[in-house]
Amino acid sequence: MRHLLLITAFLAMLGPTSAHAEGSESIWDGLQVHGFASQAAIWTSDNRFFGNSPETSFAFTEIGLNASLPINPRILLSGQLLARRAGDMYDGTPELDYGLADITLASSNEQRWGVRVGRVKNPLGIYNETRDVPFTRPGIFLPQVIYYDKIRNLALSTDGLMFYGESYIDQGALSLTLGGGQPVIDDNVGWTFLRNNYDGEFQTDNKTGLVQLWYSTPGERFKFGLSGIMLSLRFDPGQHSPLRSGTTDIFYWIASIQYDTEDWTLSAEYLREPLAWGDYGPFFPNFKTTVEGYYLQGTYRIRPNIELLMRYEEGFANRNDRDGVRFSTRTGGLFPPFAGFSKIWTAGLRWDINRQWMVRAEYQRHHGTFVLSFRENPDLGQLREYWNLFAVQAAFRF
Amino acid sequence: MDSFSSSSKSNHWRRPPAIRQQSAKPLSTAFIGLVLVLWPWRLTAQELIVNESVHNARISQNEARLFFTMRLPLWENNLPVKVFVLPDDHPLHRQFAKNVLGLFPYQLRQVWDRQIFSGTGQAPITVATEQEMIKRVASTPGGIGYVESAPAYSQVRTLEVR
Repeated sequence: MRHLLLITAFLAMLGPTSAHAEGSESIWDGLQVHGFASQAAIWTSDNRFFGNSPETSFAFTEIGLNASLPINPRILLSGQLLARRAGDMYDGTPELDYGLADITLASSNEQRWGVRVGRVKNPLGIYNETRDVPFTRPGIFLPQVIYYDKIRNLALSTDGLMFYGESYIDQGALSLTLGGGQPVIDDNVGWTFLRNNYDGEFQTDNKTGLVQLWYSTPGERFKFGLSGIMLSLRFDPGQHSPLRSGTTDIFYWIASIQYDTEDWTLSAEYLREPLAWGDYGPFFPNFKTTVEGYYLQGTYRIRPNIELLMRYEEGFANRNDRDGVRFSTRTGGLFPPFAGFSKIWTAGLRWDINRQWMVRAEYQRHHGTFVLSFRENPDLGQLREYWNLFAVQAAFRF
Repeated sequence: MDSFSSSSKSNHWRRPPAIRQQSAKPLSTAFIGLVLVLWPWRLTAQELIVNESVHNARISQNEARLFFTMRLPLWENNLPVKVFVLPDDHPLHRQFAKNVLGLFPYQLRQVWDRQIFSGTGQAPITVATEQEMIKRVASTPGGIGYVESAPAYSQVRTLEVR
């Protein structure tokens, strides 16, 4: 309720978007306000996913409100508040999703160069920048083997700078983004990278860098992308922590390809994420692994407002131990082998009822539990290897 | 919603000649669909229009795409670009996107949504009707939009795309 009030107050402050008298030249004429809200219901046969899903969870709610204002043709100010409730992982407290100044440094009819300053969404893969906007996703859930929801904030946004260059010629469009700064992190980092919520805090070293490269053919039929982020986390242990002050080095990169026709969109992405833990002390020995994930996805528009989704994805905690057996043995069986991978079939249906409303239904067949959050499933003995998911979602936008 | 399954009569923007309609009458709906699919759209005009303040004589298709995907902030004479569009499901919008820009309407929507919801750009201004489109482009310096056929407004002119 408090969140709702806050958002209403924000909206009231900004005023209506289009009530401007003709002829009066004011910078507020360019103000745009957009927003979205969604609510899902999730049921799983076993294992907790976005809340207490075995008994039907409603704990997946997204509310976003943004405003953008061009203070001149070269400078755009924008910001978005996001309230996101996602099971035990996120409680719905509104946060600044992005808040930035986008400055065009130079532009012609073939090129554009600029910089974004502030909190900027990381342009990783096809979907990361707008991953919390249901209308921009192919399904209720993004492919979890690449766009993890168990730890989304690490790759979500950066407080810093992003330089971009875009070139549009008759042979296609090329764009490059280079960024650096401080990633936005939260409790889920500890749960995912240390598999527990130890007493202490994660901080980032000033070693965060991001690069993104896209090429698209004329008419954007084919798109090819490469994007990656490199960061280093330092754990500052609290008094009661059994762990020492260790570091976790992360390199997360995605290769993407997308093909558009009038009725079909085919997408495939491949993720590799080398991880290294060091200096955490005897209770958490130094360890290296390479996470891997990929999916192949097709969406088919039966009509312009009805879309079918089919996807297959696989993800592995360690690409050199894809069946999870080695890690399971190392932990004395505490970790079941199937916690080291996920193989998921997804079928979904989307219906855009009108310009504001959209509803969706989705079914997933899971083998393995790699994509699940330890925070939501702390008791490893309770995990089930094969499980089903069914979800529906309603979403509104303006 | 689906332009291919609705009758050609209601799709007045396409203006198929009467002879085509008569010959299609006894045939199956599948054949009508095929005729519509194969019909040379370019015979039916969608014209790009600009406010009189814009001095360009013509623009390339590449440039037209950049204007409508909100990637070009300024005209050559440094006037800010103001883009007007019809709703996504408007038949004229869909024809203009496909025939003039060479983009599918859902691709335009994806580009705009990415910009709107990542704070890296803005959406074009959506107007409800073709009449409103002409009025807004006429009254907005730097305005750009599209119509079915060239309007008789002195403040608006068509711009050749090639």
